[in-house]
Parts: sequence; C-alpha cells; structure tokens
Amino acid sequence: MRLRRHTREEEEDGDTGIDLAPMLDFVLNLLIFFIITAVFVKETGITLSRPAPSNQEQQKKPDEKGTLFVAVHGDGTISIDKRIIDPGAVRANVERFHAEKPEGPVVVVANVKSPTGVVVKVMDQVRLGGVYNVSIAPSSSGE
Amino acid sequence: MRGRNHNEDDGHHGIDLAPMLDFVLNLLIFFIIITSFIKQPGVKVTKPDAVTAEHKDNGNIIIAIRPNGDIWMDRRKVPLADVRAIVERMHAERPEDTVVIAADKDSQTGVMTKVMDEVRGGGIMSVSIGALGLEQ
Repeated sequence: MRLRRHTREEEEDGDTGIDLAPMLDFVLNLLIFFIITAVFVKETGITLSRPAPSNQEQQKKPDEKGTLFVAVHGDGTISIDKRIIDPGAVRANVERFHAEKPEGPVVVVANVKSPTGVVVKVMDQVRLGGVYNVSIAPSSSGE
Repeated sequence: MRGRNHNEDDGHHGIDLAPMLDFVLNLLIFFIIITSFIKQPGVKVTKPDAVTAEHKDNGNIIIAIRPNGDIWMDRRKVPLADVRAIVERMHAERPEDTVVIAADKDSQTGVMTKVMDEVRGGGIMSVSIGALGLEQ
C-alpha cells in the first residue's frame, strides 16, 4: 500500500506520523460487515382501518346500519348474510354494497380458527370492490 | 492531514487517501444506522398474496406468526403476553415506526387478531397485515 510505504519513509526520516493503514483496514472490514448484514426491507401489506373492533359482540349485530359483514368460517368458507358464497363472488357483493352505500365500511368477521390466507384474500377482494375501509373482527363462536 | 502535507512538501505523488477515508467512514456510519432501524422477526413465513397490497413506509417492526401459532419478533420467539411490552419499548425508541404483522397464510386468524390488539395496546395504532403484491 502506498500509505504504508510513505510512513515507512517517514520512520526512516525520523518523522513521527500516525500509521493510518491498520485503522483503514479495520474500518474497511467493519464497512464490509455492515454492508453484508444490512437488509433493505420494503414491507408490503394491507392496512386496516382503525379503530379495530376488538369488542366483537358490539360489531356483530347484523341489524347495524350501513355496514357489510363478510364472515369467514373456521373451515375457510365465506358467507354474506348467512349465505355461503364463492371467494370470487365477494367482489361483486362488495361492489353492489358500495354502490348503495358509498361511505359504508366492511367488517370481516373472521372465526379465530380460520386461516389467515383466506381472510387476507377476502380483504383484498373487498378492496378491489372499492371499499378501503376494512376492519377485522374476531369471532369465537362456532358459526 | 499529515499525508497530504508530506506529499505536497516533498513533491511525492501518492494518491491522497483522506477523501477516500472520509467517504468510507460516512458509508460505514450509514450502514450501522440502517441495520439498527429495522426489526426483523428472524423467521420466514409464507405471506398471503393480495392484489391491493401497498408499500408501507416506516413499516419497520415486523411481527411474524408461524402456522403453528408461534410469534416471532426482533429475532426471537416471544409469548403473546410479552408483545405489548416490546411494542411499547420500540414505540418509545422510534415513535414514527409502524407495525407489519407477517402472518403465515396457514396460521389461525385468532392469533393475528390477538397480536393486533396487543400492538394497539402497546401504543402503535397503525397496524397492517403483510401481504405479497402480485405485481412483484
């Protein structure tokens, strides 16, 4: 290294300078370590509207006005108004609801044993149907 | 700096290392800071797909839920009861951070909603569910 040669010359000349080479080596090693361990995460996800209905009894009332409830059962089946529907039909139902009540929120009433994949899929379909005000309510009953 | 003066005085033509050293040190500090910001869960989960998934800015705290219901955050497995305390601490450190719950698509929704309640109880209101955008 050039620097090392210089400092050696300095030593020969009787010049007392700090040898920067070991420090530079160390810093470079540290730099490489941090570059390798650095992870640049760009998380993608679906943001839920707040406040989340943690009190499910209050939210589960079917007669509550202006809210569409989509139920996801423990076995992964989906129903709206006690009618079991196909996952692909969620979007059409939400679009119809959205046309009637543009401000109305959608609550996904998910059984605690339902797989998360189905719940996220339902939420995705609801958002595709135009309603971005989606929240999730857990239900432990065996419906 | 010493090297520079030496070179100029003696007419030596060596490469001036000082700017390179400054640059490397800046790079080093940048990477040190970056690594300490993002709280990785430490396990891999299969996130569900969603067409409407969007990028989350400041989604730096990631809580993973495995198919068997284990909760992982900050590179270790934590019991549900500890989630709130950890979130409170992280919220105090960096208040602008938000939480992304990376739940495996085969995990039970009950665990996810419980974790969500704990996170909100810990003071971070912006919670989202991790999903993989299909365009990626």
